[in-house]
Amino acid sequence: MKPLWLSLLLIATLGITACSEAPPQVHKAKLFTLGTLVDVSVLHQDEAATQQAVEIVESELAIINRQWHAWRDSPLTAINQQLALGETVTIDAATYRFIKQAQTLAADSNQLFNPTIGSLVERWEFHSDDRPNGAPPTKANIDELLKQAPSMANITLTETTLASNNPAVQFDFGAFGKGYAINRAIEQLKQAGIENAIVNAGGDLSAIGSKGKQPWRIGVRHPTSAGVIAAIETDGDESVFTSGNYERFFDFDGKRYHHIIDPRSGYPANNAISVTVIHHNAATADAAATALFIAGVKEWPQIAQQMGIDKVMLIDEALTIYMTPQMAQRIHIEIDDAQIKIIGDNG
Amino acid sequence: MTRADYCAVLFAALLLPYLYISQWTGDEAGVAASIMNGGQTTKVSLAHDHTLEIDGALGTSIIKIEEGKIRFTASPCLGKQCIHSGWLQHAGEFAACLPNRISVAVLGEEPRFDSINF
Amino acid sequence: MSGKSNSTTATKSGITMTTTPDDHLIAWLAALAIAIHIIESVLPSPLPGVKPGLANVITIAVFILYGWRTAVWVSMLRVLVGSILIGTFLSPTFMLSFSGAVASLIVLWLASRLPGEGLGPIGLCLLAAMAHMFGQFYIAYLLFIPHDGLFKLLPLLMTAAVVFGIISGIIVRSMLRHLDKRKNDTTTIINPRNEQEK
Repeated sequence: MKPLWLSLLLIATLGITACSEAPPQVHKAKLFTLGTLVDVSVLHQDEAATQQAVEIVESELAIINRQWHAWRDSPLTAINQQLALGETVTIDAATYRFIKQAQTLAADSNQLFNPTIGSLVERWEFHSDDRPNGAPPTKANIDELLKQAPSMANITLTETTLASNNPAVQFDFGAFGKGYAINRAIEQLKQAGIENAIVNAGGDLSAIGSKGKQPWRIGVRHPTSAGVIAAIETDGDESVFTSGNYERFFDFDGKRYHHIIDPRSGYPANNAISVTVIHHNAATADAAATALFIAGVKEWPQIAQQMGIDKVMLIDEALTIYMTPQMAQRIHIEIDDAQIKIIGDNG
Repeated sequence: MTRADYCAVLFAALLLPYLYISQWTGDEAGVAASIMNGGQTTKVSLAHDHTLEIDGALGTSIIKIEEGKIRFTASPCLGKQCIHSGWLQHAGEFAACLPNRISVAVLGEEPRFDSINF
Repeated sequence: MSGKSNSTTATKSGITMTTTPDDHLIAWLAALAIAIHIIESVLPSPLPGVKPGLANVITIAVFILYGWRTAVWVSMLRVLVGSILIGTFLSPTFMLSFSGAVASLIVLWLASRLPGEGLGPIGLCLLAAMAHMFGQFYIAYLLFIPHDGLFKLLPLLMTAAVVFGIISGIIVRSMLRHLDKRKNDTTTIINPRNEQEK
């Protein structure tokens, strides 16, 4: 009798340890779209539902990519051609929504986020899937384009029409389109009944829900070395976007030129090496990460405030980490000896 | 001490090592990696040293596995970002050659992160 | 438990309460349990609020001397009063103490069901301490830190529980021997009045 009871006790205790709640089931899928690798993670759904989720994301991202592609023939390139000729373009509701959001973000960022400098970006040869090959544009080249000063302020937008009073305006929504597309994909996922997922397109992501009882854990890659520099646990539906000087670039004559062009100077912005933003709207986060990167170490707090962004982390060339107090509460720096400066009050 | 006492002590003596082994092993070091080429995914073991030649959209990428780590050593892309990512070792670490459509991810028991932002 | 004298107290309302020496001992033990509980609350632990369960010494001693029900009384008294005194009543710490105490008591109840000689103080303290730790750990996991990573702490916590359990067992054993010795001596030395009652 004694051994029976003791063995029951043994089984009970082993049972408790073994039953540490099974880790939540996350299904992952990778697809290639928007010119980059897209990771979709979905919680708890069966194979069929996960597959459906992936298809939804893929089709939504493909639609936006096709529509707003900056250089391959697309509705956008057609719009650009018309605007260059001084014509007024007739637009539909979806286009209106897209451009309206971009317009607001551009204004809030003091036009640091400037999606009208397509010509400049093209001159830098970033209008291609490959890396630019050859010398950077000459100063004369750049000055010529700068003089024309295209910006969203040149745009007149109504619900059905779009016009520009500056023929130099050439749309390139590279700093905004991805975020917009991810927003749409997430919307579609929610409509399909999926409440816990992550859509990560080339490193920029939107997370909804959570991983069961635990939040989604996001690692922020170190801008200059392998591994992770910081960790974030999501809180509700959030997007985490990072703009960095290591994403698209080319080297020439020992110098590195990256793809985030400062519309004021015509050259790649060099007042930061990366900016990470957390915000619930992916399109806003996308534009903000770019604008704040361009704003750099000195001006980012002002621009962040104007754009309504309260969770920012900026890393400068010396690897000093600047962040808002709200970001400090959410992010955990994973490297030793980090130099951290908290800027701003809890507002 | 009664006989039952000894049984209790024996039980504890068995339970403790069991707990250590079950909770503390199952390391985060990768044991396998998954290589995605276009749409196809293959799993490879990191237990044995290998050199793999993978034909992607642009050309052949060379991937090396050595001492439980994996990396791109050659690739036909212009940027060589994949090579610059260096050795991948821990669960969740990842490198990709986008132009060649080849990506490598280290698999593990429980990845530290659900997604990586960069 | 013969051989000890009773004392009679008249309360203000005129009701007479008679307390036996057993009651005195139980009250004293309960007070001691509360004291240990409070002292234990300042011990460091890898997981805040999770304690090795030294106060179990009292619970087991009471269990052996007076049976399971009294042990429940003393245990609950310890957890409640202890937490009120420390100021953690109904806090997470309280939940942890409470769940640990309940788990120990369940194991003690099972132990009391064992036929034959059953478990001695060492076995009882050991099993109770382990149950105490499991109870605390599981509540911590369910209610406060549902991270799977928490289980990495379990082997350490359980080792502490086993060690403290055996130590408590040894303490209880010598306590009982001391009390036993006292009992045998009382008839002749400590309470001469008993001569009359006998």
